[in-house]
Amino acid sequence: MTGKRVLAAGLLVVIIAVLVALPLFVKKESNINLAIMVGLYVSLASSWNILGGYTGQTSLGHAAFFGLGTLVTRLLWLSTGLPLPLSILAGALVAVIFSLIIGAPAFKLRGAYFAIGTLALGQVLYVIVGDRWPMITSLPAAQLATYSILSRYYVFLAFTVLTIAVAYLLVNSRFGLGMMAVREEEDAAESLGVSALRHKLLALGVSSFLAGLVGGAFAFYHVGYYPQLPFGPLWSFDAVTIAFIGGTGTIIGPIIGGVFFVLLRELLAVKLVEIHLTVFGTLFVLVVLFLPGGLVEAWSKTRDALARRFRKQQGRPLPQEAG
Amino acid sequence: MKSRMYLVIVAAILASTLLGACGPATPTEPAAQPTAAPTTAPGTAPEGEAPEYIEIGSSIPLTGKYGALGAMVKPGYEYAVADINAAGGIYVEEYGVQIPVRLTLYDDESDPTKTVSRMESLFSENDVVAYLGGAGSDMHAAAAPIAEKNKVPYLGIAFALYSIHQQGYQYLFSPFPKSPDQARDVFEALNTIPEDQRPSKVAVFQEKTDWGIELWDLWQQYADEYGYEIVVHEEYAPRSEDFSAMILKAKDAGAEVLLSVPNPPDGLAIQKQMAELGWTPKFSLMIRAPENVSWTETLGATGDYAAIFAGWHHGETFPGVAELNAAYEAEFGRPADLLTGPAYACVQILADAIERAGTLDRDAIRDAIAATDMTTVVGPVTFNADGTGNVLNPMSQWVNGQLELVWPEDQATAPLAYPALPFDER
Repeated sequence: MTGKRVLAAGLLVVIIAVLVALPLFVKKESNINLAIMVGLYVSLASSWNILGGYTGQTSLGHAAFFGLGTLVTRLLWLSTGLPLPLSILAGALVAVIFSLIIGAPAFKLRGAYFAIGTLALGQVLYVIVGDRWPMITSLPAAQLATYSILSRYYVFLAFTVLTIAVAYLLVNSRFGLGMMAVREEEDAAESLGVSALRHKLLALGVSSFLAGLVGGAFAFYHVGYYPQLPFGPLWSFDAVTIAFIGGTGTIIGPIIGGVFFVLLRELLAVKLVEIHLTVFGTLFVLVVLFLPGGLVEAWSKTRDALARRFRKQQGRPLPQEAG
Repeated sequence: MKSRMYLVIVAAILASTLLGACGPATPTEPAAQPTAAPTTAPGTAPEGEAPEYIEIGSSIPLTGKYGALGAMVKPGYEYAVADINAAGGIYVEEYGVQIPVRLTLYDDESDPTKTVSRMESLFSENDVVAYLGGAGSDMHAAAAPIAEKNKVPYLGIAFALYSIHQQGYQYLFSPFPKSPDQARDVFEALNTIPEDQRPSKVAVFQEKTDWGIELWDLWQQYADEYGYEIVVHEEYAPRSEDFSAMILKAKDAGAEVLLSVPNPPDGLAIQKQMAELGWTPKFSLMIRAPENVSWTETLGATGDYAAIFAGWHHGETFPGVAELNAAYEAEFGRPADLLTGPAYACVQILADAIERAGTLDRDAIRDAIAATDMTTVVGPVTFNADGTGNVLNPMSQWVNGQLELVWPEDQATAPLAYPALPFDER
């Protein structure tokens, strides 16, 4: 292991330790709740990134997998009394099964057609669930009496770490290389013996499983909502937006994007009540327009620009000029 | 050049973040000053000296699908707080002084997940002694459990869904008519029609939503009780486009009354298609769709005769309504909107409860709200054990492009327009 890797691993352990210990020094429930939101959106965007960012399949139907996770978990957990971990696992598995059933035909579509097709799929589920389960699902008073935000926080933290770890291991595996080959040039990848459909299905299966898990955590967290809510297209759009804001096709991108997205949104919502959506929307349009590689790219560009300026001021040649 | 552009963008993002952090904290600051030395924020236990403000907060949908409802609720809260503060605030016996109210409003964007976040913020950051609700059943369904968990009294309007009150919540109060009131009162209103002209055959177009299902169950029960016959019952999914099959069934069955609870787009489509297919019920209750002025602007005379239960009407004659209308007229150029009165009443009830409690202890305020017996701008208010209010449930009806209050008769601004003139004769 190189020194850089040891440093990175050490840093990771410290970050996770800090996050585990967070409730010890953050006492306000609103801040814990904010951390939960960050975890939710980071997980959602990271799981989308496996399919969209690394495999190049821009899905707009991610909400369907998230929604199935919430629906199955909530039904099993609250209606049948199945233990929560089993309910969440069942939700994630249903999301995987559903994704694989629709995956094969959906992957016959490419580019914008795939995006529109998956969006339509999500909307179909949205309508069906609204029609079949029109009643609000609320936590019963007994559950509410023992409601602990901390247990929700740790569930989200665990799933966030798991999602990022799975994404990291996957993209650094042989399958990950295949996924990226499919993203770069599907026909060329096929000609080299990389089965595009197999890799896309694998990415979809993993992505939907993780989205289903996060959905299960959402079902555990939320006190009251219409079962249709998690199937809304905004969940898909938010996941895509966060991945693009942070930087698609990178592990760190959705993490930065998620933190930025949630914190900025909350800050603006609280401080600029009447105009927060306008300011928020404008900022994100600017980011997408001028930072196509996301905040990850912004960071590297900013660092390069500062380095150039510094070197210029020092009268030292720029690396490319030094030739 | 390009790298400079990236620097500018990053700087702009950072600057806006900082600007946001330095922005105004709350939109509604009290005009009056406290009458005692300000010290601690209100919490659950008295500290001896009066706090600077009585903190109350609300998460309201100012944008999104319920944005139009939130826009009616918000001024109601703000006017009431302004009026209370203009009079020096609320007298709190524990401190022996009047304390002004500070209302913090957040926009939840009609998203119940954001409602939860905003409610937690109001509790943790603002230490509110009470919540005021937003608008829309699912927003309240998300908000009420948070109030329950935090043990903060919650006063909410703009939702008629009764099932929210069946969860055993102790801190939820709603001085607003609920489904059982709506289901019963439509027959009460119909029974004011002379018996020889009174309709008897009812068609129910039931939206496949929780509210629609709840009302359908209740309408069956009350139709039997009041001697009406339901001859058609048709279900439809929200945002349907073609209602012709169910309209023709109602027409063929000779239905004289239409009972429904459509959302605005569905309501507009139903009314238009009824006109096209030539079925004019003698009386139609649509509860929700015709609440907005866009109903008459879109439909013109076709929209006349549709009746709603909106929870309030600016023509009511209770103390304070005229003053509220005058203030609203001065700002918006029209009398107070349908939800503005009930929102105003929430603050009146809360202020009265705090004064009677004589403390800012949340449990004491909760108990005082439960014991409410007062007259507000929505009339007399008391609460049942489940937090539902015993309040007037006025029926309004579009008559010649105006929304008139038609029932109960002692509050009416116009008589019930019955029977409806056929669409092709308007």
